[in-house]
Amino acid sequence: MKKEKSTKLELQYQNEKSRPKGVSQWNIAWRRFKKNKAALVGALIIGFVMFLAAFDSLIAPYPPNATPGFYVGEARVPPSLKYLFGTDKLGHDVFSQVVYGARSALYVGFGAAAIAMSLAVLVGLVSGYYGGLVDNVLMRITEIFLVIPFLLILLVFLKVITAVAPASIGGLSIVTLMIGVFSWASNARIIRGEVLRVKESEFIEASKALGASKRRIIFRHIFPNVLHIIIVLTTLMIATAILVEAAVSFLGFGDPAAITWGHQLQLANEAVKEAWWEGVFPGLFITLLVLGFNLLGNGLRDALDPRLRE
Amino acid sequence: MLMAPKEILKIENLTTHFYTWAGVVKAVDGVSLEVKEGETLGLVGESGSGKSVTALSILRIVPRPGRIIDGKIIYKGENLLEKTESEMEKIRGKEIAYIFQDPATSLNPVFSVADQLIEVIRRHQNVTKEEALEKAIELFRLVEIADPEIKIWSYPHQLSGGMKQRMAIARALSCQPSLLLADEPTTNLDVTIQAQILELMKNLKKKLGMSMILITHDMGVVAGVADRISVMYAGRICESAGTKTIFYNPLHPYTRALLEAVPNIAMKREKLKIIPGAIPNLVSPPSGCRFHPRCDFAGPACVSAVPPLVEIEPEHYVACVRAKEFSGKLPSRS
Repeated sequence: MKKEKSTKLELQYQNEKSRPKGVSQWNIAWRRFKKNKAALVGALIIGFVMFLAAFDSLIAPYPPNATPGFYVGEARVPPSLKYLFGTDKLGHDVFSQVVYGARSALYVGFGAAAIAMSLAVLVGLVSGYYGGLVDNVLMRITEIFLVIPFLLILLVFLKVITAVAPASIGGLSIVTLMIGVFSWASNARIIRGEVLRVKESEFIEASKALGASKRRIIFRHIFPNVLHIIIVLTTLMIATAILVEAAVSFLGFGDPAAITWGHQLQLANEAVKEAWWEGVFPGLFITLLVLGFNLLGNGLRDALDPRLRE
Repeated sequence: MLMAPKEILKIENLTTHFYTWAGVVKAVDGVSLEVKEGETLGLVGESGSGKSVTALSILRIVPRPGRIIDGKIIYKGENLLEKTESEMEKIRGKEIAYIFQDPATSLNPVFSVADQLIEVIRRHQNVTKEEALEKAIELFRLVEIADPEIKIWSYPHQLSGGMKQRMAIARALSCQPSLLLADEPTTNLDVTIQAQILELMKNLKKKLGMSMILITHDMGVVAGVADRISVMYAGRICESAGTKTIFYNPLHPYTRALLEAVPNIAMKREKLKIIPGAIPNLVSPPSGCRFHPRCDFAGPACVSAVPPLVEIEPEHYVACVRAKEFSGKLPSRS
């Protein structure tokens, strides 16, 4: 909506060579971000994994839908030119599985983060802005979610829900949903804190004095001012979600039909000594991707912090 | 009270209290004042005397835990305290606008100045974005900003303090309000910019035919701008009169003490007089006249009863039991 507006306004200045342009917070953030090497490396890693996920069927030498899927044949062959990351005990090509696992990892990461952050932003904004009884009730609910032993309840819920849910809903989607639903609480608290800080600002009072409605103040004035926090938290949330999914799959509570790095780790667990390549490569990719998101998140935090000046 | 039909705002017995853990803070306790059409009223007093809370009460945007518990705020014949919240939203910014003390923080840092002006204009007027932009640029000309077409695309952090305050004034004026509440608009600016901004506001007021309440603790500022002055102390009005009367014939001891605390160029190596003590705790304010613990002329009558605001001479209201004694001859403070 904002973009459409600025292009419309730009039209007016089409003929003028020097269209006046202010330096927005985004301009400043981008300038800072470009200077941060670590963050750029993070972005590069994420870009690479996204590339794998986008063209998985082209990259993987033995796609799962081929016959035999993932090359079923020679079991436990060490890495070679034919099998880049070797094969597992069922004769699956580890490299192909790692490539296909990229999509699952990103799916869970982005999906769970989207769910968790939507809840967190909603609860944080409403709780922080309205305060009083609303705040009290929402924060008590948040605390309930915070004191639950996260992984344990996740495993229990997954066991129950996968047993009850119809098979048409993918197991991976349920895992994603569950991770999202159980990990919004701490983010909601952080966002609420930021909202509390911003809502005391004079410009919020000023927009009130100029006749802005409550909804307008929350979404048009407070939200953009806490957006930098939300972006950073989202990045870190993606990393956490990927790790949690890997843990769940490793423990055998994930979707057995899905190709995920965590699932690969679980299968590799029984033969660490004989076939190290089965576990090392998917593990490496988990580490790499999570590291990438963490680097990106840190870089974004430095770039978007309004208190830092160049 | 004089019932002139021309008054645009009349506040009667306004009472705004803050319900804090430490007790009920009686920030505004029975304030009555009026603003006539086209007039500038100077609202003067020390920090913490309730000036800002009075102004915030007019727009009904007193922050929690503050509540307006009594009184009437009659704007153009209608009591604002009886309006619904959505009716108030239409009045805020359109009929009555507010200029905040600190221009640095009263602008949203994430939007360009153009966006912020367009937002207010489109909120109250049915115009397209392009028309609103035209108007915004026009407003920038009005507040005497050079190169308005270029400057309007700046973000607040790119502007200087004086520019930000001009921009805040432009935003307040964007819908041609009938009443402007200026809450210490020049306090955070340096002296030369201060003079420019005051001159600008004076001219704009004349040009647009607005009324204005100018809140300040600076007697020099009101002397130049205000037509009438109301002096506030500890949540109450102690004296209301024309600017000249306040300066040449102040009858309330507090007004006099305030005036004596202003440095005077004719003064020769005299020590500046200060008002001993500090503004009282408004949770449990002093009985009777709230100024009595700091007043040089306080007697038993001042402690026992609250002095009402009475018209001592035409258009000169004073809330002091001994005001009549002081009239004409001013006993000097020791």
